[in-house]
Amino acid sequence: MVTQDEIRLVAGMMKIDIQDYDEYVDKVESMIGYFDILDSAGVDDEDVAVREIPVSGLREDRHVAPDQKLIQRLNHYKDAYVRAPKMS
Amino acid sequence: MDLKISALEYSRGVRNGDISAEDFAAATLERISGVDGTLHAFLSINSDAVDQAREVDRRVASGKRVGACCGMPVSIKDNICVRDGRTTCASRMLEDFVAPYDATVVSRLREEDTIFIGKTNLDEFAMGLTTEFSAFGPSRNPWNAEFVPGGSSGGSAVSVRAFECVASLGSDTGGSVRNPASFCSVVGYKPTYGLVSRFGLVSYANSIEQIGPLTRTVSDAAFMLDIISGQDANDDTTVDNEDAGYLQDIDAGIEGRKVGIVREMVSEDTDPAVAAATWEAVARLESLGAVCEGVSLDMVKYSVAAYYTITSAEAGSNLARYDNLRYGYEFPTDGYEFNAYISKARQRFGPEVIRRMILGGFVPSAGHAGRYFLKALKVKSRLTREVDEAFQKYDLLVAPTAPILPFKFGEKIDDPVSMFLVDINTVTANLTGKPAVSVPFAVSGGLPIGMQLMADSMKDRQLLQAARALEQTVRLPEVPA
Repeated sequence: MVTQDEIRLVAGMMKIDIQDYDEYVDKVESMIGYFDILDSAGVDDEDVAVREIPVSGLREDRHVAPDQKLIQRLNHYKDAYVRAPKMS
Repeated sequence: MDLKISALEYSRGVRNGDISAEDFAAATLERISGVDGTLHAFLSINSDAVDQAREVDRRVASGKRVGACCGMPVSIKDNICVRDGRTTCASRMLEDFVAPYDATVVSRLREEDTIFIGKTNLDEFAMGLTTEFSAFGPSRNPWNAEFVPGGSSGGSAVSVRAFECVASLGSDTGGSVRNPASFCSVVGYKPTYGLVSRFGLVSYANSIEQIGPLTRTVSDAAFMLDIISGQDANDDTTVDNEDAGYLQDIDAGIEGRKVGIVREMVSEDTDPAVAAATWEAVARLESLGAVCEGVSLDMVKYSVAAYYTITSAEAGSNLARYDNLRYGYEFPTDGYEFNAYISKARQRFGPEVIRRMILGGFVPSAGHAGRYFLKALKVKSRLTREVDEAFQKYDLLVAPTAPILPFKFGEKIDDPVSMFLVDINTVTANLTGKPAVSVPFAVSGGLPIGMQLMADSMKDRQLLQAARALEQTVRLPEVPA
């Protein structure tokens, strides 16, 4: 069972500033509690299937310039750079 | 002007001069202004639609080439980019975002002279199945406005059923096309994974989501799929469209086809009216010459937990881009430290998105990944194997699209697990990549019931033929709205 402290920790890592923790914690707790059903699926020996695409099947890796100055659509930019607050 | 016609009837009508695209577009906008105050299918409307339709009429009259859609009004779910229009994902975070390009599905429809009549409502970032999580208020079910229309493509389904457009595009991550199609009584089609490009679809869970049409008839879904499907250099997960020509032989029927009835999808938890409709559907498939018998897919009971684990992890990653620096709203950065600014800006996310982000951070995290995320991937693999084995024996699988009837607003919003379980019959197609369709089948107590058919990967043509056969056995009452 997940604890409320763990949920607060993950919210912080996801950069989510929650005002009313109680509103979220109960529901997240019940969601994760439901996921515990996976314990009884008996799939420990199952391999995880992945879909492989050969490099030759991928599109050509080249830059396609946009037909407009997309950076000018941002709220905060200077020249060709995104403007962001300073990191502490 | 008869707005209740199908896409094929519309296209024929414009080509032979019986229908004016301009008049049809004007009547459609009038219909929207008449009913959408109550139904709230749309988040934005194309005010140039009539002018664009007039241009189509002019080209028809002068004998110039006109695309297959002939100015047909189509609505687009508001998580699919239409150039120079707002794409909000029903989120305050993207309230003012204007898409700089067309999604591939949009550009393909545009080449066929589609008119994009408006962008439709959804649960915020497609996370939900009622539209109650839209930041701009829910859509309402045209059969009874006190009931949810399903979701997340609820606005799309409402717009088609309430004759506010001829067809719509939605996205289906765990049933988000088929569930509202069932709740509103329209056809909802989830193609084989990779058959339709996701380029320009705002990502939620890339590994399983697909764009699909919502239409009034199965033939219209085939018509739309013919236009939007096929390989796209901008989406490396797309596959060669070898089975194209979905409208061809649509009336081939299902004589001799083997159909598996998925036992885990018609259980004691299924609403009695829905279960009765399912057995009636089975009887009709048999009357059409199909051979039906029960089949068990043991992993179905774990599929919802696996689905929400995988989608939350992918959503947590996808939503990381909404930092209000690359995408976002007007909110000055002055006086904020970098991380504090992002945290503050993200307060514009709605509660369900925040919950999914927390889940998305939790399930793949160190110490928990083995128990949740890895196990979910293993369930996905085992389920895929089970379904592949089933398709060695059966041509189709049948089940009700949703185990319950549409429910009232607020009925499940405080019980996330109960809400999750509405998806139990739809997530299998997403986790396994198989095509599936919801066909309007019955109305019980004034509320619709949809029947789901599923086929093996790349058997989309055969699936549409079966859906068409089932559709022809159905006569439903007129929608009251």
